[in-house]
Amino acid sequence: MDKRINDLGQIIEKILPEVDGVLGLKTGPGGIVAPHLFVKERPEELELMAIWPKEPLPSVIRLIQQAHPEAKLAVVCRGCEERGMVEMFKHAQLNLNNVTLIGLQCTQEEAEFCRCAEPFTVHAKMIVGQPIEGVADPLTEKIAAMSQPEKLAFWKEEFSHCIKCYGCRNICAQCFCNVCALEDETWVQTGHLPMGNPSMYHLVRAMHMTAKCVACRECEETCPVGIPIAIHFRLIARDVKEMFNYETGAVIDQKPPQLLVLEEGDYERTGLPH
Amino acid sequence: MIEYKNILTTCPYCGTGCAFNLQTLDGRIVGVLPAKKHVISEGGLCIKGWNAHDFVYHKDRLTRPLIRKDGQLAGSSWEEALTLVAGKFSQIKAESGPDSIGFLSSAKCTNEENYIVQKFARAVIGTNNVDHCARL
Amino acid sequence: MTEPKIIGFLCNWCSYRGADGAGMARLKYPPNVKIIRVPCSGRISPELVLRSFREGADGVMVLGCHIGDCHYSTGNHRTAKRMPVLKKLLEYAGIDSERLYVNWVSAAEGEKFAAVIKDFTEKIRALPPFTETMKSRKQKLAEMKQTEKEVEWTSA
Repeated sequence: MDKRINDLGQIIEKILPEVDGVLGLKTGPGGIVAPHLFVKERPEELELMAIWPKEPLPSVIRLIQQAHPEAKLAVVCRGCEERGMVEMFKHAQLNLNNVTLIGLQCTQEEAEFCRCAEPFTVHAKMIVGQPIEGVADPLTEKIAAMSQPEKLAFWKEEFSHCIKCYGCRNICAQCFCNVCALEDETWVQTGHLPMGNPSMYHLVRAMHMTAKCVACRECEETCPVGIPIAIHFRLIARDVKEMFNYETGAVIDQKPPQLLVLEEGDYERTGLPH
Repeated sequence: MIEYKNILTTCPYCGTGCAFNLQTLDGRIVGVLPAKKHVISEGGLCIKGWNAHDFVYHKDRLTRPLIRKDGQLAGSSWEEALTLVAGKFSQIKAESGPDSIGFLSSAKCTNEENYIVQKFARAVIGTNNVDHCARL
Repeated sequence: MTEPKIIGFLCNWCSYRGADGAGMARLKYPPNVKIIRVPCSGRISPELVLRSFREGADGVMVLGCHIGDCHYSTGNHRTAKRMPVLKKLLEYAGIDSERLYVNWVSAAEGEKFAAVIKDFTEKIRALPPFTETMKSRKQKLAEMKQTEKEVEWTSA
């Protein structure tokens, strides 16, 4: 039995009377884990609390907060989910002032499963488990090291499997636009599979995830055909770090590059002629 | 009290049997989440499954039976509608024989519901005229 | 050898006037660039560039005002932030990032405009046609079979 479940249960029990609800995971029928809002009226549900597999909690808390803007909530979050909530806060999708963060630290196996570089929380005041070092991402390194024709062949093959379920967009906590460019026939053709090359769906999505992707890997996990789509996002995240000195979810006060007017130094780092 | 919970269910669209969690907030369905550890769908869904909650509150959805009276469809109770259907079935069967009746079932029904439809056709009405939209 | 097709997105206030200037000065430059005038280079979304490629363009140019000279004061900052990322993305997807070209051409720089277009056209001419590189293995096989059939037909 994971010690973290007991510790987490105690913390939740303690803060449950002070808040309107604590968002966590609960084991349902058939051992299927799903997000659940624990409330003080039904503390017995805490016995069914689970911590793995992780679910896209930032989008769930956004959903709840939109229906109940004044509610005081707490949420059990891993490193990626915390980063996700910070990014959503910056884009005015979430009011973090009404949300208490309970930081759940990932274990080595969980971090390796997600190929996560930052499996720990930074902003959460309450912490469960021991923070560990990030792990390497061999798949991204492998693809980054490929030659250009190899990359093209790899992605052509991967994208030709896509069944356009829009799952990677639907599950993404950072995809919160009301009007989605991927649903616009001008950009993404409907009624054609496999999609034309270059795949507008994947490349447009990769562009839109610039400085937004928090490496939670939910998109890769939900993909029915197993496209490692987050590799694009991670590679771009490295460039964003280099060009704009911006890391998603790291600093709450830092403005995302989408909202910035470039300073002299930033402009030179992008590598354009001037 | 805020009530948010997920209800595990099977996708209503095709016969694959993918499972997903219906997110409900204060008693209303608000979205779909794939069931990650489910043996069949393994956390994946197709575009139909991802939008399976959309029709639930659709304004075009029929919420009660309609009966055509004087050329106009009018809402009625289940009691009235089922009595009418049963009466007409018996009448047609008596006048023109059981093979004058056919049954069309739906791919959106569960296996068990489809089984009931064919059983009803064969055992109660006495015809083999059973068909299904997914057979096309 | 087919001529490369290039789409040029030109900002109305600087680069398009620059192109006018090049014409007025009767400077010669290759006719491969199909010019599309846009209000500001910041209007060029990644979708527009990617769709140009999908429709068969071999290269895409985005020309705007120099930083600081934008008619909308910070419109071209968007270009300057967006295009380097898009170039990187093309690289990661296995597409030659040289096919996308970004530069700043002011209304007075007719000569620079002609030179930029000449350079870029030469660069693209050296690369294989874009649609050819993007064909899937299935398409290539189908084409090979087609030519085989044609050969059989003519020899019979």
